[in-house]
Amino acid sequence: MRSKAALATASVLVLMPFLWMISLAFTPERDAFGSIGLIPAHPTLTNFTTAVTDARLGAAMLNSALVTAVAMVTNCLGAVAAGYAFALLPFKGATALFYTLVSTAAIPVSVTLIPLFLMAKSMPLAGGNDLTGVGGTGLLDTLGGVVLPYLVLPMNIFLARQYFSTADPHLAEAARMDGAGEWRVFWRIYFPLARPLVAVIAIFSFTAVWDDFLWPLVVTSSQETQTVQLALARFLSTGNVQYGPLMAGAVLVTLPVIAVFLFNQRAFISGLTDGSVKG
Amino acid sequence: MATLTEARPRDARAHRAPARGGRSRRWVGVLFVLPAALYLIIFQLVPVLYGLALSFTRYSPLSRSGPQPVGTDNYARLLADPEFGQALMVTGKYVLIVLPITVAIALGLALLAKQSFRGVGLFRSALYVPHIVSLTAVSMVWLWMYSQHGLFNEILALLGRPGQSWLLEEGSALNAASAMRIWKALGANMVLLLAGLQSIPSVLYEAARVDGAGRRAAFRHVTLPGLRPMLTYVIAMDIVFLAQGFAEIFVLTRGGPLGSTTTVNYLIYTEAFQYNRFGSASAMAFVLFAVIIAFAFLAVRGVGRRS
Amino acid sequence: MKSRYGLWAGLALVAGCGLSGGGPAQDTAKPADNAIAVWFPGTNQTEIDLVTKTIVPRFEKETGAKVKVTFLDWPDLSTKLNAAFAAGTAPDVFGHGPAAVADFVTNDRLEPLTADVARLSAQDREDLANALPGGQVGGTQYLMPLSMQGNLIAYRAGDFTKAGLDPAKPPATWEAVKEAAKKLTKRAGGKITHAGLLLPSHPIGRQQTFAGLLGSAGGEQISADGKNVAFDSPAGIKALDYFVSVYQGPDAVANQLGVNYQDMPIAQQPLVTGDASMTVLAPQMVQQVVKASPDLDVRVMPVPTFEGTAQGVAVGGAGPGLMINKDSRQKDLAWKFISYMISPATSLEYTQGIGAIPARVSASDSLYVKSSPVIQAFVAQAAHFRPNPNVPGWTQIRDIMAKHLEQALNKKVDSAQALREAAAEVKKILNG
Repeated sequence: MRSKAALATASVLVLMPFLWMISLAFTPERDAFGSIGLIPAHPTLTNFTTAVTDARLGAAMLNSALVTAVAMVTNCLGAVAAGYAFALLPFKGATALFYTLVSTAAIPVSVTLIPLFLMAKSMPLAGGNDLTGVGGTGLLDTLGGVVLPYLVLPMNIFLARQYFSTADPHLAEAARMDGAGEWRVFWRIYFPLARPLVAVIAIFSFTAVWDDFLWPLVVTSSQETQTVQLALARFLSTGNVQYGPLMAGAVLVTLPVIAVFLFNQRAFISGLTDGSVKG
Repeated sequence: MATLTEARPRDARAHRAPARGGRSRRWVGVLFVLPAALYLIIFQLVPVLYGLALSFTRYSPLSRSGPQPVGTDNYARLLADPEFGQALMVTGKYVLIVLPITVAIALGLALLAKQSFRGVGLFRSALYVPHIVSLTAVSMVWLWMYSQHGLFNEILALLGRPGQSWLLEEGSALNAASAMRIWKALGANMVLLLAGLQSIPSVLYEAARVDGAGRRAAFRHVTLPGLRPMLTYVIAMDIVFLAQGFAEIFVLTRGGPLGSTTTVNYLIYTEAFQYNRFGSASAMAFVLFAVIIAFAFLAVRGVGRRS
Repeated sequence: MKSRYGLWAGLALVAGCGLSGGGPAQDTAKPADNAIAVWFPGTNQTEIDLVTKTIVPRFEKETGAKVKVTFLDWPDLSTKLNAAFAAGTAPDVFGHGPAAVADFVTNDRLEPLTADVARLSAQDREDLANALPGGQVGGTQYLMPLSMQGNLIAYRAGDFTKAGLDPAKPPATWEAVKEAAKKLTKRAGGKITHAGLLLPSHPIGRQQTFAGLLGSAGGEQISADGKNVAFDSPAGIKALDYFVSVYQGPDAVANQLGVNYQDMPIAQQPLVTGDASMTVLAPQMVQQVVKASPDLDVRVMPVPTFEGTAQGVAVGGAGPGLMINKDSRQKDLAWKFISYMISPATSLEYTQGIGAIPARVSASDSLYVKSSPVIQAFVAQAAHFRPNPNVPGWTQIRDIMAKHLEQALNKKVDSAQALREAAAEVKKILNG
């Protein structure tokens, strides 16, 4: 099968840098990048133990998992519901609101980082703050603070709107005739049919949170709230990079994401065979 | 529980009366949007507007005196700054290199990966791996691949060609950074286009076949129109994110050589966090914002309207 | 409409807490009694282990205090400090390089330490004499350096022998270095395949290379009062001409212009791969190279001078150190911690642990220095290391210099013009 061969070739090409990461994960420090061979001359497992013990990768993965799980759920509900309404339940001012919300994705994080940090610190009733957000540290150095900017990603609303924009608006007529409320129409009819969309939003939210570095860097300060990328950064000391543990750690933290993706694949395919949202 | 059972008959009544149903449905639309909108207004829009306010001030987070209003000075200075102009050009070039190639390859791969055969999930995952692998770690591998004795030069050597200084030449550095970004962006683009392809009802293909349409005709009359909303999104998303390209530049070239890879967002980062000048960094960000929105708008209109 | 009011209310809220920018009422968020937060620059694993597993626990045991340590890589330090200072959550003690100190001082963020230093014993002060000036701005001590830093030319002795040079008598002048490099350089088809001498030419590296050459030619970067540009001088042109001649022209001895080899992994170090015979490296890297490839017989040479000038100069001197946040509520404990870090035993333990040049003169008699020819060579050159100027806006000045040096190194403009243009831009920064 030609397309299979083409896909296989593309996959191998795309995976090349990743293959070297795996190879480096098994390579002793002094040999790192010494040759272009993929099989290490003196294979070792110490990089993995270093990654897990020195960077406390296990705890960091647990933190990241918690934070990403929350962001996945809130995005799959909040962004999908909003995108659905923008596409199928228009209201006065909807278009203006839609463009305003989505356009915030075009402002570099450098600009919003500090105001967001101030807001996290002044979050009322959190971390010792009173109702006016004064007195304590708010959400700073908490997992709640880490997840704060990802609860709804604006581009996910855009994506959901695009997806529902070609959906068949008559699909719900029958249900509405039967007296189903709008929430029921959405939850029982459109949401299940939008499974491919939900799967994509889930995986995108997952990667956005799992991979982010700058915000967790700024908002956390103790070991207890470290995320995976912060844990890995420990091996990235300027001028003194520890290549082996870095790669071993990076490979370890990539595996759960691949697992989530593979799991999502099933949702993709079943979403496809269940029927279609389009008319 | 009580509120739920109460709510249902009210909804039902609303829909039985068609005249009121339309208005009520609109009101429901607001409710659907409300949680996300409220959240985004507070935690996205407010910081953005704060940044907008800062762009008319001089402000270092280290200072104790807070921002000093300077009117439109920051913007005036930018317009006269050749470095900012160059950065805008570099950013535009970067988007124009990365975007078409990424979308074209991603579309090709999505068409291939759309078919269902055993193990296709593995291929999809493999193609998605670059998007999820830690950038900081994998950038080390790319740095090495581009280095004097890296993979690319070794391949050239096998072909009997002289090695290149990929990241060190004015002419090749941006292309080298673009290659890494294409690699990184491919998976997300493909997954989106795949979802778009999968949402095209197979009935339409069957109908086209019944009408005697060949594969090319089916692509043009079924696939492309069906894919348009997703394609619009993919292109808009690419413009928004590529125009803010920073991380790959930071790890590969630090903006060099001779400023040939200094993107606007790289300047913004330096201005904000190296020089502590948040006022002018914000001004840069809003100029970039205007450019991004303009191009995304044009692209969305272009893709959306063509039929 | 309602949402718009909410929006402005929200904006006003942020503006209220942010724009007011923290007057004296600003807190270092709630320190527990007898506890301090310390941010260290760099994420060197040996350093992390040494500090968190040995030094800090010992300090805590001796004093009964709590020290919460966070390590941050250099590029992340400014980002995090910026956000923390804006919100008033900056740590009690934080570290940075000497070049960053002036900006913190300008913004009134640092506790002056002159009085604390004066309370140290005379012997201590003498012992730290090399390190202290690098932590001063306008004569006031703000930063206590934990180590010394500096780069020297490391060379492959075997290459010298093969090229008919005496590795025991390395060149003493830049002119002689260039002559030696010419003999060591190899070409194929007009292209350099083996560099005789690699001078750092990446952005930060090329400013340092230039500064070293400039000092060796008898010049200064910024006038002593920190108010005027001094590098656009005949000495500056001489230095830059030399730098350019290393990379350009028929007598060039270096390739890979712009590459940052100083931060490359061991196996890719030009000395290890055999791509160069002489490179400029920090002591940590030289030690690693020597350890990884003892057969290469890598040695370091003294800082060269230019013919006819008094002494060679390399960028270096005081290394990264610790400062005290002016708003800290635990200044006494903060100073106690810093003075513990710079005490003779801990200081030696620390610099040995990270492979750096010790901050104390007395450490030159220690086993650490005595047993390492590399560190010994760096310690012996201490008098030649000169720090970059501690002036506000230094990061930007450095980047401006790097930008114009790059123009000259690529032969876009000549040395005089590059320095003139750089000087014009730097003047604007110096004048605020």
